Amino acid sequence: MTSARIFFIGGLMSYRALFGWMNPWIFVPSLLVSPVCQILLFAYIGRSAGVGDDEFYVIGNALNYAAIPCMFAMTFTIGGERFAQTLGLVLATPARRIPLFLGRSMPVIANGWFVAMFGVVVGSMLLDTDIPGSAWPLIALVVAVGSLASTGLGLVMGAINLVYRDGATLGNVLFLVLLIFTGTNVALDDLPGWMAAVGRWLPLTHAIEASRMLADGAAWGAVSGLVGTELLIGVGYLAVGLSAIRVFEWLSRTGATLDRI
Amino acid sequence: MPLTETPAVEARDLRRTFRTRQGALRPTRRTVEAVRGVSFEIAPGELFGLLGPNGAGKTTTIKMLITLLIPTSGSASVLGRDVVGDVREVRRRIGYVFGGDRGLYERLSGLDNLRYFSELYGVPPREQKERIGSLLELVGLTGREGERVEGYSRGMRQRLHIARGLLHDPDVFFLDEPSIGIDPVGARELRATIAGLREQGKTVLLTTHYMFEADELCDRIAVIRSGEIVAEGTPTQLKQLVSAGRVLEVETYGVSDDAVEVARGTGGVRSVVVEDRGQLQVLVVSCEPGAEVTQHVLAGLDGTRVGRVSHRDPTLEDAYVELVTR
Repeated sequence: MTSARIFFIGGLMSYRALFGWMNPWIFVPSLLVSPVCQILLFAYIGRSAGVGDDEFYVIGNALNYAAIPCMFAMTFTIGGERFAQTLGLVLATPARRIPLFLGRSMPVIANGWFVAMFGVVVGSMLLDTDIPGSAWPLIALVVAVGSLASTGLGLVMGAINLVYRDGATLGNVLFLVLLIFTGTNVALDDLPGWMAAVGRWLPLTHAIEASRMLADGAAWGAVSGLVGTELLIGVGYLAVGLSAIRVFEWLSRTGATLDRI
Repeated sequence: MPLTETPAVEARDLRRTFRTRQGALRPTRRTVEAVRGVSFEIAPGELFGLLGPNGAGKTTTIKMLITLLIPTSGSASVLGRDVVGDVREVRRRIGYVFGGDRGLYERLSGLDNLRYFSELYGVPPREQKERIGSLLELVGLTGREGERVEGYSRGMRQRLHIARGLLHDPDVFFLDEPSIGIDPVGARELRATIAGLREQGKTVLLTTHYMFEADELCDRIAVIRSGEIVAEGTPTQLKQLVSAGRVLEVETYGVSDDAVEVARGTGGVRSVVVEDRGQLQVLVVSCEPGAEVTQHVLAGLDGTRVGRVSHRDPTLEDAYVELVTR
């Protein structure tokens, strides 16, 4: 009961506590306008270069942008607490760490899903792409799985914040890595073999591929393997993140790293 | 003071070393011994003070006791539970409050801050409302609990910290400089709250810089200097360390280091401290019983403008200053 309450109620309250500054004046430009701009940028580059089609760029970039709220927000759930000096107080409680940190991921996943879906919907409307109505529910599901996987990576980054106070800066690099390696704007088949191989182990790669197939009219059976792989990758990153939190929490107690803010 | 029952808190030869590294290409490594073999016991229901200057090792000691730091060597237990091996049980039974502005969720209301930590401490949902209500009453925040913490004064924040630390009804309470930066009225209210904890039978470990606070509240005090405990006893016992003597206070304007050294070198002088009081520098000279040092100290101040010269009995602060400046 206690763990369930920490997961659901605690997760939601900590999200309110840490992201109370996220008012519409910040949310709309940074998480709604920016992804649409990214979509338009790459769609028009594609048009002028005569490669790809608008739908390819809409889905790729909309899903890629889910990484911004998912990775950075999840990192901030630890890094932000560290800066506010609430992390030590949280870690001094007997609360179990798995529900404590996984509960924080739920609102983050929902946020990432909303941002990506907004990008797909608005990008499709602006560029007049033709995504069949029947594909939307499954695309929404795949986007949710992609958001979960990105949040898993964010949890790993958050864990690093327990011992390395500037861990959040890694997010800028990782966002670019995802932009290049996940087939967002260049299909995996067109990337060098090693880059495609790296991309297969990153979050979002399989979700982007599955969403594109669904938008082209593929049935669930054709994409279920991709979605399952994305889910496995996401769960894998979450597991690595939780294990890293355990290890790094111990290291923070031996190395006094939490005292440096 | 020998204890006849199982101590609520026990530290045995507690040590903590920090190793820091600076620079990437030619890193310089530094080792700091923050706590060097600290041992003490606190009896259940006792209010124990840990006094010392900045950097003496007070906070490091507390952090080891509340499981946030692992001792480099030595051991410690809270209510018989080892702080390294039995972490969850220790965390369940202790409360921790530190001084200053930070450590609260600014964008949440005071009530939501308390609700969140109630969840983390596993306070049953049916008890939360009543518990939070009574704690808000205890710390005098009833009626203000719905406001965001970012609008709270420092004193209100500190009282909210105390309420947070008491949510799960801990048996042992660690207060690390709780009154730092609080105005006199707020500090007085805080002292009343801390005194109330003792009346409830809580064991309290309090660190503070303020001697009158320690004198008023603590059953026993340990003075820590450079990571080592240099004296331990009741406030009265500590005062007796310097009570067999007198304190000479000389008001000066622009006292030189040489004059201070002359005073220190005077026979019968135990310690000399310069206190800045506005434009004045007051030379506080602690003397041996019967020592006549006034003429010699004043002679050393030749050329320095001197104001009022007075004698008084030693206070706990004098005992503290003498202990930490030896």
